[in-house]
Amino acid sequence: MTKQEVLQQIETIFHEVLNRTDFTLTEETTAKDVSGWDSLTNMTLIVRIEEKFDCKFKFREIVKFKNIGDLCDAVLTKKN
Amino acid sequence: MVKTNGQDILVDILATIKRVPQNKAFVINDNTYTYEDLGAYIASVYHQIAKREDDVIGIIAENNIETYSSLLAVLLCGKTYVILHPSYPESRNLKIATLAGLHTIVSSNRSNTDYLEQHGSHLIFPEFKTDHTIEAVTDETSNDNNAYIIFTSGSTGEPKGVPISRGNLNAFYRAYQQIGWKLDASDRMLQMFELTFDVSVVSTLYPLAIGACIYTVGYDDVKYLKVFELLEQYELTFAAVAPSVIQLISPYLDEINLPSLKYLVVTAEASQTELLDRFRKSIPNAEIYNLYGPTEATIYCTYYPIPLPGKTKQHNGMVAIGKPFDGTEVLIVDEDGKKVPNGTTGEMWVAGPQVMKGYYNDPVKTGQAFAETADGKLYYKTGDLCIMDDDNDIIYCGRKDYQVKIQGFRIELSEIEYTAKQFFDAAPNIVVIPVFSAGICSELHMAVEVPSCDKDALYQNLSQKLPYYMLPKRIHLIDQFPTTASNKIDRKQISQLINQ
Repeated sequence: MTKQEVLQQIETIFHEVLNRTDFTLTEETTAKDVSGWDSLTNMTLIVRIEEKFDCKFKFREIVKFKNIGDLCDAVLTKKN
Repeated sequence: MVKTNGQDILVDILATIKRVPQNKAFVINDNTYTYEDLGAYIASVYHQIAKREDDVIGIIAENNIETYSSLLAVLLCGKTYVILHPSYPESRNLKIATLAGLHTIVSSNRSNTDYLEQHGSHLIFPEFKTDHTIEAVTDETSNDNNAYIIFTSGSTGEPKGVPISRGNLNAFYRAYQQIGWKLDASDRMLQMFELTFDVSVVSTLYPLAIGACIYTVGYDDVKYLKVFELLEQYELTFAAVAPSVIQLISPYLDEINLPSLKYLVVTAEASQTELLDRFRKSIPNAEIYNLYGPTEATIYCTYYPIPLPGKTKQHNGMVAIGKPFDGTEVLIVDEDGKKVPNGTTGEMWVAGPQVMKGYYNDPVKTGQAFAETADGKLYYKTGDLCIMDDDNDIIYCGRKDYQVKIQGFRIELSEIEYTAKQFFDAAPNIVVIPVFSAGICSELHMAVEVPSCDKDALYQNLSQKLPYYMLPKRIHLIDQFPTTASNKIDRKQISQLINQ
């Protein structure tokens, strides 16, 4: 799986959870860039991403996700 | 040596700035500011606003030293601050600006302020100048001056302004110290609340009064993650949090260990006994307090030190709110305003020096919110249902009306319903249903009694008028609402329908 593929699938999850499709994610995207990505939705997003990629993040890892790129890297590390 | 006296919080802050100039005052986004830095920032803003004629000053709340300094400068000038939120819809901020009569607005961010200037407001952008020092800042405020006005959700679509006077704030300050915190200039304290919400006032002012350091969370941070990052990275010793923050990390409690934390305050919404009992393992050295209070009675007016697991007083899993603050008087009354015996549920009324005089420029709502007892004492009717037990501890049982709290924000469901109805030519029935998870309201759903409508357009329309925390997570269309035996809309049944 490439980083781009992970990014695309994460974007689909974001669109579903936030209930809108009027934004695209890049590796540099942070919570500040996406309206509606807050404490409550973050929890749902993480759970959905864990389900999708069949992996489990530690809290310490989640805290360190500063942007979408970090999230993709974490998924790739778990899967490869 | 300038001494603090524990009587007037701003006098104490000013004294502390002079007493411990080299102590850290703020850590904001990993940038550190000493008390000397803070003093210089305050003096700069003070110089810019002191001569303005307006008594009420707007502040656009960013997570930076300019915003916190502006807030302090406004208070030290003897003026009143009103917070405008950069992520709220323009129409909401304009409404608040109109209701508060704002002409002068301080902003540390030059973008997104055009609409306020077009509205006729004079914008001031803080300019930091080293030639202004805190020595030039004096504090000559009377206790009658309002310190701040907080706008809360109102049922007719108009937010209500809650003015808190300097006297209210100082009555709070004196009572708050009576809890007996063992905190001093070496402590590291969390400020996670939005400045539009009044717990931010104590989370900011109290550490500054004792010379401690404040660690802030920004409004665009993913809050619960930032909170735990700060607690761990900086080994914070004091944290006041909304229980929802703990709820969100509950799957990960085994990974969390915060031995430095001396005090955990849970506030802003009802706390779940079971959740706190589980969290205790992560904070082995902390005392836990539940602090309660309506904005109208200045931040907190009751406190409950949470005993060991298994001994916590509770109702439906919600932790008790304990005893009134020093100076606050509490009555639990029935529908006729008569005191009920201990052990009986009634509405809680509060009186005392922390209670506001009345809503800002709104005698009608003020009249509705207060009641006078036979002995001539004015009580604020909280709308909260409580029981007083035989130890004189107050047990919280829920809201009397359709108000809920999300992330600490008090919301009148009827305000959202009212706003949604404006979208339609012929207003249909609309109900907003709070969805609870583990006793905490986690999201809002909206049910509209129409066979079809453009849900996206309705949502867009709402998002232009209401702050984000009032927006429904889902909109459901129902041809015909179920009704109760007395022909009222059956909210309970609608709630069941949409949860299926």
